[in-house]
Amino acid sequence: MSNKLINSMGLSQSISHIFAARNILTAKDALSMTEFDLMMLLDVDLDDVRSAVMQISRVVSPPRQTALQLIEDRGRSDHSLGYLPTMLKGLDETLQGMPFGCLTELVGPAGIGKTQFCLKLSLIAALPASAGGLNGHVVYIDTESKFSSRRLIEIGENSFPHIFRVKGMAKEMAGKIYVIHPTTADELIESLQQIKLSLLQHEVKLVVIDSIAALTLRETETNKIGYKQQTLGCPVSYLKSLAELSQVPIVVTNQVRSTRTDDSSFRYTFEGKKFDRPLRKV
Amino acid sequence: MLPGRAIFSNRSDGVTPMTAHERLPQNRPIQSDFFGAQTAWEMLSEELVQKHITTGCQDLDDILGGGIHCKEVTEIGGVPGIGKTQIGIQLAVNVQIPDEFGGLGGKAIYIDTEGSFMVERAYQIAKACVQDVLSISAIDGKVAETHRKKMNPNVFLANILYFRVCSYTEQIAVINYLEKFLAEERDVKILIIDSVSFLFRQDFDDLALRTRILSEMSLKLMKLAKSFNLAVVLLNQVTTKFTEGSFHLSLALGDSWSHACTNRVILYWNNDERCAYIEKSPSVRSASSGFSVTAEGIRNIIPSHKKIRIL
Amino acid sequence: MHQHPWQNGMELLEDVLKNKNCISTGCEGIDTVLNGGLRKGQLTELAGPSSSGKTQVCLCTALHVADKEMGEVMFLDTGNSFSSKRIASMMEKEIRLERVMTRIFHQAVFDIFTMFTVLNDLCLNLRQEEERNRERKLCLLIIDSISSLITPILGGKNSNGWSMMVSIGFLLKKLAYEHNIAVLVTNHTVGGERGSSKPALGESWKCIPHVRLFLSNDRETYIRNVSVLKHTSVILGRSSTFMINDGWKI
Repeated sequence: MSNKLINSMGLSQSISHIFAARNILTAKDALSMTEFDLMMLLDVDLDDVRSAVMQISRVVSPPRQTALQLIEDRGRSDHSLGYLPTMLKGLDETLQGMPFGCLTELVGPAGIGKTQFCLKLSLIAALPASAGGLNGHVVYIDTESKFSSRRLIEIGENSFPHIFRVKGMAKEMAGKIYVIHPTTADELIESLQQIKLSLLQHEVKLVVIDSIAALTLRETETNKIGYKQQTLGCPVSYLKSLAELSQVPIVVTNQVRSTRTDDSSFRYTFEGKKFDRPLRKV
Repeated sequence: MLPGRAIFSNRSDGVTPMTAHERLPQNRPIQSDFFGAQTAWEMLSEELVQKHITTGCQDLDDILGGGIHCKEVTEIGGVPGIGKTQIGIQLAVNVQIPDEFGGLGGKAIYIDTEGSFMVERAYQIAKACVQDVLSISAIDGKVAETHRKKMNPNVFLANILYFRVCSYTEQIAVINYLEKFLAEERDVKILIIDSVSFLFRQDFDDLALRTRILSEMSLKLMKLAKSFNLAVVLLNQVTTKFTEGSFHLSLALGDSWSHACTNRVILYWNNDERCAYIEKSPSVRSASSGFSVTAEGIRNIIPSHKKIRIL
Repeated sequence: MHQHPWQNGMELLEDVLKNKNCISTGCEGIDTVLNGGLRKGQLTELAGPSSSGKTQVCLCTALHVADKEMGEVMFLDTGNSFSSKRIASMMEKEIRLERVMTRIFHQAVFDIFTMFTVLNDLCLNLRQEEERNRERKLCLLIIDSISSLITPILGGKNSNGWSMMVSIGFLLKKLAYEHNIAVLVTNHTVGGERGSSKPALGESWKCIPHVRLFLSNDRETYIRNVSVLKHTSVILGRSSTFMINDGWKI
């Protein structure tokens, strides 16, 4: 909605032209400025700016729902309550698997088996329904060049011998998994935007990003300390809305940092203060 | 868990503003001719009859001065998993406790930027709230049938107006549009944004521009709160910040934003206990209290560990 | 009012000595650093980080002026942080509550344009009252906070926001001087070098207020510190402490 064109929003001809003349074309262009900046740039009255901004806002605002509608919608459509099974007994019992339409994060130290877990999930999503799979395609975004087809087939042969022994099946399974190798956060965003359409068109049943941390961490190191928060470059909000829109489970892996409990950066400044001591007037 | 307790219970000098309120003359003409201004005396009479929205946790209500205040912008921040969304959902439910049961009987607007609103959880909390309110009033034994009818979890869910927002452009748009929307939906008594910072912490390169846009947004939220007698609750994430020679946790969006709210509450872990700390407020002192997230929603912590610490 | 369009130094001094030009803030620490309190006819700025106690000082000063000086106070509020309950709780004697509270006026202002309108109306109003030779009662004008109105217009590609900031500063000083009222505004802080904080709004605003005070709050002890950043007759860097104490009084 944020890329919606201003000239299609029912503004009066004259004001619509003024926006166009200043190269303010989309809702995002207009709403990324303060009213004062717009007033100065367009050289029109505050009241005109405000009514134009109000009209743009009205068009761009997402529809109002009620929580009751949400719960009713959920009851009506059955596919929205699906899960991708992990085929791990304990995990499937508690979580039922990776929920459709949700972003799931796998966290653990290096070498614990996050990538292995993702490879296994990819196989399950690609497997025919007869074998307990989802018979779908998988988009595997590999940011650390850890994806190995050989390992994938090895896991398949060990876990699902009856399927992988059939001639050509291993190839067919592996062929359903598309791998993308972005090297920067920007490329990641780009490839995500590209797969958006194919997610809706093809029978994609799983998106894996292994790992989401690799790109952001690499960029953080080059930055000065204290600016860590700005490099949250990965479009988490985009991933979430992508999952919701396509009803596909998205699994991302993340690394863990060591935490020391005495480290001040895990405390607020007010913590550790004496709460019980009565204060005296100075 | 119901609001309406005496506000100035900790005063020592006898006459409380509650008794002062009894002396307030009704419908007093404005004696000065400053346009549009209100005297503090008139505001006091309004403030004293104003009900607050209970958080569900009595200890937290106590340190907040009765609960979340209308006409104010309250920011609640904390690390992931501390219970921000839980408090958000709880407030969206509690604002609907009918007048007869000591609540505000209003609707809630929930702006979800993270996709973290869980409708099943909202149902659970609404159901628990209905049961609590009915069981308390059952002791009085005079609940009219018409009042009982309102006390249905589905009615509560129908009164939570939900906007799912996926970009900062949409977030700005909704907040702009609310000025019109609220003029039509006069029953809305709380606006919750979960979270206010999520979309602004990504894809924003020009930080000076972000500061300007956020400060304009905060003024708009202030205006909505004031003109529609609305409680605005902003949930915020945390970040690490470099101050006085070391890194500390701090709420996101920077220094200018820290002035964007009337009240600021920080949720934090004290060992394995959840705590809330009032970092700033014009009307109540800084204090901290524990709270817990139970199956029923936000509640006091178990009595054996209960402590309110006054600073 | 004056016979000459000018005044000489002796006349100015006489004027200063004859008229009591200081109004106490009700907060000892701040009165000490200011040699008595806020000066009438001047613009005083209170800067400090979030929760350093700026609003509390404003509320306390409003009460003190309305109570002890019997003057009227106008409180322009941009952050919904004016709490009449809080003011009432600071009163020592309830008996005067109504009289005092009716001298404090509150108005919410949420954008810079409205602020101009309100200030111009106020100017007009005060001038009319003076023409009618009514006893002038407005002693203090508080804006909490001026910075939240200016931040959205400052920066960007044009300098118009900057000139609006300067003209609102000019208007405030004119109001203060012409009607002999004290003007108190609050300003927030932005990060400076090495994690320190400095008042927002930059260099051009810096030269506008007559007096600039900086508030800070010690996280460990809750002692508030106030220091002078700029003053016409007090040594810079002078500082003092105060507390918002047990009884929740300043």
